[in-house]
Amino acid sequence: MNAPAAISQTARQPVMGINWVGLWTIIRREWSRVMRVPIQAFIAPWLSALMFIFVFGYVVGGRIATIGGHRYIEFVLPGVLMLNVVNAAFLQSTSQIYFQRFLRYIEETLVSPLSYVEMIVGSLAMTIVRSVVTAIGILLIGTAFGATNVTSIVEFLFWIVSVSIIFGLLGIIIGLWANNFEQLTMLNVFFIAPLSFVGGVFNTVKMLPGWLSWIAYANPFFYFINGLRHSMIGFQEAPEGLGIAVTLSLVVIMSLFVWRLFSIGYGLRE
Amino acid sequence: MTAAVRISHLNKTYRTGTVAVSDLSLTIEKGDFFGFLGPNGAGKSTTIHCMTGIAKPTSGTIDIFGIDAVKDYREARRRVGLSPQEYNVDTFATVTQIVEWMAGYFGLHKAERKARTEMLIDRFGLRPHAKKQFRELSGGLKRRVILARALVHDPELLILDEPTAGVDVELRRDLWRYLQELNREGKTILLTSHYLEEVERLCRTIGIIAGGKIVKLGPKADFLSTVGGLEACYLTATGAEPDHIEGAAA
Repeated sequence: MNAPAAISQTARQPVMGINWVGLWTIIRREWSRVMRVPIQAFIAPWLSALMFIFVFGYVVGGRIATIGGHRYIEFVLPGVLMLNVVNAAFLQSTSQIYFQRFLRYIEETLVSPLSYVEMIVGSLAMTIVRSVVTAIGILLIGTAFGATNVTSIVEFLFWIVSVSIIFGLLGIIIGLWANNFEQLTMLNVFFIAPLSFVGGVFNTVKMLPGWLSWIAYANPFFYFINGLRHSMIGFQEAPEGLGIAVTLSLVVIMSLFVWRLFSIGYGLRE
Repeated sequence: MTAAVRISHLNKTYRTGTVAVSDLSLTIEKGDFFGFLGPNGAGKSTTIHCMTGIAKPTSGTIDIFGIDAVKDYREARRRVGLSPQEYNVDTFATVTQIVEWMAGYFGLHKAERKARTEMLIDRFGLRPHAKKQFRELSGGLKRRVILARALVHDPELLILDEPTAGVDVELRRDLWRYLQELNREGKTILLTSHYLEEVERLCRTIGIIAGGKIVKLGPKADFLSTVGGLEACYLTATGAEPDHIEGAAA
């Protein structure tokens, strides 16, 4: 073996203080990891969305009167889409962090010159990519049923990206906290799935029993679904400004919390 | 002259209350080949983990080429390459991916990343295995991948935590030659090993740690000039049974 030649210093200088190459590498690594399980990552949510749209939207929805002037299939599509975006974002970030900890290859990034912010942003960027790909597939399925509408693309992207960030951050927290696979799925079973179902995926708040409607207004999922539905069919049950405020507040609070966890090394450093 | 590593009063206590390192101070000069010896659980790996960011020091300071490894960790880490004792890789990734991704984390641009990865794959005889997943490799091949990964960003300080554990004789000798060559070129190397003949052959300075403290430190010649040589020194410093020490000195 001969020793390698020295590396040029210009080859590793960060631009504007940001390790862009490192960030991009985290995304490439995660894309490669996701593409090892494409059925689990993309086909399963698309198939599940197809079943929801077909059974609830097309078969059952065909017998339901319009809601706010919209066919039921058009009403239900944003809810199904949000359900899958939430799942894609949460699963991506929990598995990303947890597997890095489980197989200890989190140490590769810990010993490298990546800042905590770069590690978090790299992780969230891939979460957004996976959510957007999932969303595009579901929009295409909706198109096949003649149910896809997007009245405001900017608003639509805001909801997809911001909700992906929220659940990406939540996934990071759970991925750092969990010490086994059971803990990893706990939040999804007891929190995400129930709240998303009562957040207005299949029904309006008015359809709920009176005593339950106040829970809907306190449920952040309601604002996510309400916002996405407004961006797609223009239907809303709560002021969108309130939804945007709730969402942006969650993004800021959770970002600061995750940054703090990284800076103290919670679940990362011995 | 700036030392490659300057550790002052390092303490590390784990959440469980275990004191792994206690008031450890150590200086490794630039260009040195430093042998870090000690029994299992003495605190070698913990010290290395504190130097590289895998563990958080409880107190004390660590400077790498004059840069604070905690406060200015990004700059300090650019200069360090680590080959850890335990495999810490995505076992489903291929050999090329593991090495190339590490170059990416260190910010190497595409052309340099590719060139360094390809060169190290060739240098470590990994070409026929480049597209294989890490989990498919034998123990010796896995060790080579870890070494290639540690070197991909051309670090000034190379930390090797038991790099020849489970490696066959041929690769071990090959690796010794390679490390000596890197050291001649000016790289500082910190090596931990349980093979005393390896440390004796390669290192210029030796430090022995026991119970989280440095118990003996000095040039190799000092260790070799005592009765029983390095082995007797090691056993005495680590508080081994008297009959073991006598056996080494005989």
